[in-house]
Amino acid sequence: MASIISTFHIDWQIIVAQAINFVIVFAVLYIFVLKPLNKLMAERSEKIAKGVHDARQNAEMLALTKTEHEAIILKAKSDAQAIFQDGRKKSEAKRAEMLEEAKADVEKLIANGKKTLEAEKVKMVEEARMEVSSLVVEATKKILEKRQDDLV
Amino acid sequence: MENLTTQTNQKSEIEISPVKKTEELKHESTLFAEPVAHIGNFPITNSLLTSSSAVIIIAVFAVLIRLSLSEIPKGLQNIFEAILEGAISLCDQVTNSRKISTKVFPLAFSVFLFILINNWLGLLPIGGLGVVEQSESGASFIPFLRSGTADINTTIALAIMAVISANLFGIFSIGIWKTFNKYVNLVALGSIFTKVWKEPTVLVVAPVTFFVGLLELIGEFAKIASLSFRLFGNVFAGEVLLMAMSAILPYILPIPFMFLEIFVGLIQALIFSILVLVYFTIAAQDHSEHEEHGEHEHNTAHA
Repeated sequence: MASIISTFHIDWQIIVAQAINFVIVFAVLYIFVLKPLNKLMAERSEKIAKGVHDARQNAEMLALTKTEHEAIILKAKSDAQAIFQDGRKKSEAKRAEMLEEAKADVEKLIANGKKTLEAEKVKMVEEARMEVSSLVVEATKKILEKRQDDLV
Repeated sequence: MENLTTQTNQKSEIEISPVKKTEELKHESTLFAEPVAHIGNFPITNSLLTSSSAVIIIAVFAVLIRLSLSEIPKGLQNIFEAILEGAISLCDQVTNSRKISTKVFPLAFSVFLFILINNWLGLLPIGGLGVVEQSESGASFIPFLRSGTADINTTIALAIMAVISANLFGIFSIGIWKTFNKYVNLVALGSIFTKVWKEPTVLVVAPVTFFVGLLELIGEFAKIASLSFRLFGNVFAGEVLLMAMSAILPYILPIPFMFLEIFVGLIQALIFSILVLVYFTIAAQDHSEHEEHGEHEHNTAHA
């Protein structure tokens, strides 16, 4: 052992000095590089992982929204079609109803007109008859008066 | 052992030398780091100087990164983050657990960076800067820069810290009693009295388990020796190789070996830090749980 120590000049003072050198290296590297860099890299990894997770969630949400959107559009189309058909049916029914009403009104008007005309005609005939008869009476009266004068 | 040193003689013209300009200087590649200055009794060796330079470089680098930190990375931070991500995934492969990796990574990464910068600083071609020391055998040149890890004191310091921290990590992870029983297996000895009527084989198994625990304790010292001598041997061999090549054909021949040494420096730093990770992972594992699990499986199989 003594020969090894003397051959290699093993000196505890140098050993301690070199150990201190290494401790300084370790402390400097740990404090200035490894600890902050590890923290930074961990934070970045966390951010990247969160970003990837968010992106995946967004993609899923987008796909879901797209499906929902398509379903809503499809439903809206079918609803619109149904509403349109319903409206069409209703409008046709209304039209038919209105047409019927109009027809009825026209027929009613025609009937009323006919009635009025008939009444007018009857009235006119009656009036004409009355007039004719009064004229006949008047004429007869005049003739009779004339005959009476002539006779007188 | 002294004969292991490689010696090259170089003609140097160094102004700070107190010797004559044309005097032949010896430049020995010694097994130990040489002192270039003294503060009282404390010798400032060239490897300690290199290590301190490495500390300054790493500190400056760390502060620069800290100042450039932003949520959206760019430039230096980008490169460092990429390195860090790769290193953590390598850690995960070794520990098989992100929890352990997160706890041990700062230490393993610091070990890696400290060794790497030390290894590479020793390769810088500024070996011409140094001091000339006069001795009985003549003037010898001592360079300012010698790889920090080419000094056994540095590697021993790192290895001791790694092994002690691994055991402390084990204590915090599985508890002091279980960690203690890894080395001095009192539970195994106690099982002789509790299980001997059920399983007489425990009379043989328990002492063997206890002895294995003692071997583990010796193994901890072996870890220190293997970690420190492996790193020191590889880096020192690289320096000797480069010096030998420059003695054969200066400036040209060492270039390919320089690249080899850059690679070796990286590999050695990686090996050391991975071994540290392995020791930490082993320390955080509860052996008794494995044994109990094994026993349970054995009983189930019997049933």
